[in-house]
Order: sequence, then C-alpha cells, then structure tokens
Amino acid sequence: MDNKETMTSKERVLNALNMKPVDRTPVANPTSVATVELMDLVDAPFPEACQDPELAARLAATEYTELGFDCVSPYFSIIQESSALGCDMQWEGKDNWPTVRMNNPIWKSSSDVKVPQGFLEHRDIKAITESIKILRQELGNDVAIIGKTMGPWTLAYHVFGVESFLLGTVDDPTETMKCLEKLTEISILMGQAQIDAGADALTFPDHATGDLVSGEYYKRFLQDIHSQMVDKLPSPLILHICGKTIDRMPYIAQTGMASFHFDSKNDPQEAMDAVDGGIGLVGNINNPETLYARGPSEIRNEVYKCLEAGVQMIAPECAIPLATKIENLMEIPAAVKEWTAERHP
Amino acid sequence: MISNSNTAKTPAQVIKEFGNCIELVPTDKHFQNISIGLYVKNRIFTVWSFSNKKGVSKRITQIRDQLVSLGGLSPISSSSSQAEFSCNVMHNRPVKFLISQAVNRDPNFSHPEGPMSIKDTKSDLTILVTGKQRENHYVYQVEVVGEAKNPTMRLRMIMAGFVRYGEMEKVGDNEVVFQCRERHDSLMRLLMPYSRNISSVETMMAAESMRGQMTTSTLGFSQT
Repeated sequence: MDNKETMTSKERVLNALNMKPVDRTPVANPTSVATVELMDLVDAPFPEACQDPELAARLAATEYTELGFDCVSPYFSIIQESSALGCDMQWEGKDNWPTVRMNNPIWKSSSDVKVPQGFLEHRDIKAITESIKILRQELGNDVAIIGKTMGPWTLAYHVFGVESFLLGTVDDPTETMKCLEKLTEISILMGQAQIDAGADALTFPDHATGDLVSGEYYKRFLQDIHSQMVDKLPSPLILHICGKTIDRMPYIAQTGMASFHFDSKNDPQEAMDAVDGGIGLVGNINNPETLYARGPSEIRNEVYKCLEAGVQMIAPECAIPLATKIENLMEIPAAVKEWTAERHP
Repeated sequence: MISNSNTAKTPAQVIKEFGNCIELVPTDKHFQNISIGLYVKNRIFTVWSFSNKKGVSKRITQIRDQLVSLGGLSPISSSSSQAEFSCNVMHNRPVKFLISQAVNRDPNFSHPEGPMSIKDTKSDLTILVTGKQRENHYVYQVEVVGEAKNPTMRLRMIMAGFVRYGEMEKVGDNEVVFQCRERHDSLMRLLMPYSRNISSVETMMAAESMRGQMTTSTLGFSQT
C-alpha cells in the first residue's frame, strides 16, 4: 500500500487544503489527538503539555510518529489565548481539559477589549509558538504542522461569558459587532505568530455551534469576519465549528477559507452537497460514541463513509476524548490506506 | 529532543503483542497518575502502561495481583503483568469493573471473607448470595432478607443488575449463572455493589465517560 504513496505528508495535506490532487486522502487532525496513553509514552502530561513548548512538541509529535497521521498539531486545547488575556483558568489534571472559569469574565464591553502588553511572550502563547519551531526543527519538512488561533466568537465566550455575550447579540448587535471586530486583532496576532514560527496551516475554531446559534446568525455576525481572516492570515485556514452546521455550510463555503472541520452530527454526503465545492471538508469521525466507546470496525465504517462522499481530509470531528484508545486512532490512517488500495489498486 | 517513546515498546508493538485495549483507566491515583490499560489477546489479559516512571513495573504487578485477588483470575506464571480466567471465557463486562477496582482501590483492599452479603442501598434489605453446583452449572442464588416495602421488586431489580453487569444468565426467579457456567465467587463479590443500584452505576459510568471529552456543552468552559 505505502509504496504507491508519492507525496510527503505535508504535500498531501497542503494539496488537499488547496483542492489539488493527492496520492491518497490525508489524515489530518485540525484539533487534538492527545490521549493519556500518549502523554505517558512521552512523559508530557496535561496541563503541563499546554504550558511548556518542549512537552507540547513531544506530545504533538506522537500524532505523526506513533499514530501515522499526516500532520502534527501542538495546540491541544482552546484556551491558550484566553489564559494569556488574563481569564480565570481551571487547569485541571492529566485526564481533563483545561477550561476558563465562567463565573468571572474579565471584560464587559468592546471598550475593554485590548491586547495585553507582552501577549505573545506569555507562557501559554509561547508554549504554542515555540513548540511549532521545535516540531519543524525535529520533524523536518515532511510533515504538516497545523497551528490554531481562536476566532472572535470563541474568544468572546471566554472573555465576556457565554450567556452575557449571546444576550448581547440580541440586545445590542452593533456592540456585538464591535466586540467581534476588536477580538479579531487577537486572532490575527496569534495566527501570524504561529505562521512566523513555521505553521503550514491554521485551524480557526469559532464556536458558533449548531446548538447555540442559527445559520442566519453565522451569516449576520461572522461570515464577513471570516472572509477578512483569509486576507489577513497568509496561510490555509481550517474553520472549526461543532454541532449540526449544515444550515451555515453554504455561507462558510463563501468565506474563502481552505477547509471546514465538521462534526459527525452532519452526514458527510449532505455536507459535501451543502458546500458544493466552495470549501474543502475535514472530519467527521464521531468522538464520544465511535472513537471513545467502540472499536476499529466501527471507525473503519465511518472513515469509508467520508471517503465515499469525497471528504478531502479525514479526522476526528473535534479534539478527541483524552481516554480514547490508541488502537482506535491508529485505525483511521489504516482504514484510509486500505480504502485507497481497494479503490485504486 | 522529541523522543518518540519512553518505553521499549511503541503503541503498534504493544497492540501487536498484547492485543486490544479493552479498558483504559486514565489516571492511577495510587501511582503518579499514570494511565493503565488492560489489553487482551488470546484470552490473556495484560496490564500495561506506557509510562516509564520509576516503579511502574512494580505497580503493574500489584494491579495484576489485584486482578487475581479481586477477580479470581489465574496469574500467568512466566509474566508479572498477565493473567487469565481458567474457564477460558473473557467475562468482558465484569472485567471492566475489575480493572477499575484493581487500579482505584487501595492496593491492599481485599473482598470481605465469609458469606457473600451486602446491604441494599435502596432499602433496609440485605442481599445474600449463595452458590452451589447443580449438574454442569454453578448456580448463584440471590436472596434479600429484612424489612422492606416490596422486597420482590427489589430482588427483581438486583437480579437485573447481575444480568447487566455480570453478563450473567437468569436460570430461575432468583438464580443466575455466569456465561461459562463455572464458579466465580470473587467476581460475584465484585459485582454485588454494582448490581444493587443500576441507576447510580449508569450515572457514574456516564460521568466517567464525559470526563476528558470536549463537547459543545463544555467548549473550554468550566461548569463552575
């Protein structure tokens, strides 16, 4: 199987992001495949692996060296910027995700939004930027490095609080737009820093999720901002939004972003139809039921379903549960390779 | 700088050698929060950790020995990390509870001796289990003693617990047998606390499975 591969992992990922031909569909996770077993394997546990560049690099490298994915992604969580902005953090332990404490938002209005001095020098920002440099140096140029910069909608949840921010979209949409526009400065700063460090592509999580806001909300508040990000961040961007998002996919497809990381709540073929070639897709292997609780055969079925639909890159739907079994993750690239061998002998 | 492994074996080698991971305990609070996996191949269970911290081998042997003590498995003599059921049946569901107990309980914990009995959590009843050989089967009889509003209903629920968590078969109104039809008193003792309260166990398992999941409801925010 492998001897038919003619591209490096990086070439494969970048070609897929640019909608160019590939020798086989890449397995490229835009969020995180860190697990407790991989943390033990390289002695890089959470939360330290979210704070220390060497540990982040070591843990991220396992995605390529042990699991056989085509990329590495050293930004595991979604809270690095928020920590650097001064949000109240709950770092948790090895087996749980670090979070922002919701009962103490740091800002109230758009006038509060400002980038703190030394933002890029903050420990939790350097953990990412420096880890990208280490990964590039250690793994060379054959593997794609995917960074991550939080979109303004996600940042707004963290700095204003979810409830307060969402109520504001109803009470004072003009103020909401001001908040979002100012927060994009942080997205750009963080994204550019990772590009400068050597990232090949950036994931752009912006959690206008299907169960919190409608597709029309996406169009009204975020579509233009996301289009602007394409101009302002010189790197392929992978938008990540959880939940059922079919209703906003046609809008997302018009942003100019390279790819959309989509959830298993969306049928792969229906999603491909919804974006209609306007953007690539990556995902959508189910996390809580399939990767966490089932086994290789169920994973293979989901991988095949995505491949049959023409999904451009295969990956878990979101950051995987930290107690996911390694064999289940290893099944994803194995299934992609077998499918390719079956279809293109 | 980026070491691909602290241990002698890669994940691929571990899977090849020891089989599938049937249960993963994310953190061992009795030993430096390492993860512990229970792998199985050819009906042999292997306790494994990818951690290379000093003392891991000793801890793994301790856990293996707890599988023997709490679950009645037989140790593999040539290995300090492996065990098997002498009945040659996997007993998958109870084994998941067993590895959890072997890791999370105090390393010196052992089942109480004497009659198999436990207080019911939903009534003032006491649950009693007795086993006896009947032809080719080893049958466990479950009884409830004491005062309660509807003991028959409670017994029915407890029986359902044994069927659910022990993968046991009901062979009479208050009688169950293991899949292998053989005697497994240690497993029966292990299952008693789970079987008496299905709803709590389900809640506990749901909470455990949610830990470490990034979902649309958490999105990086703590719930406190």
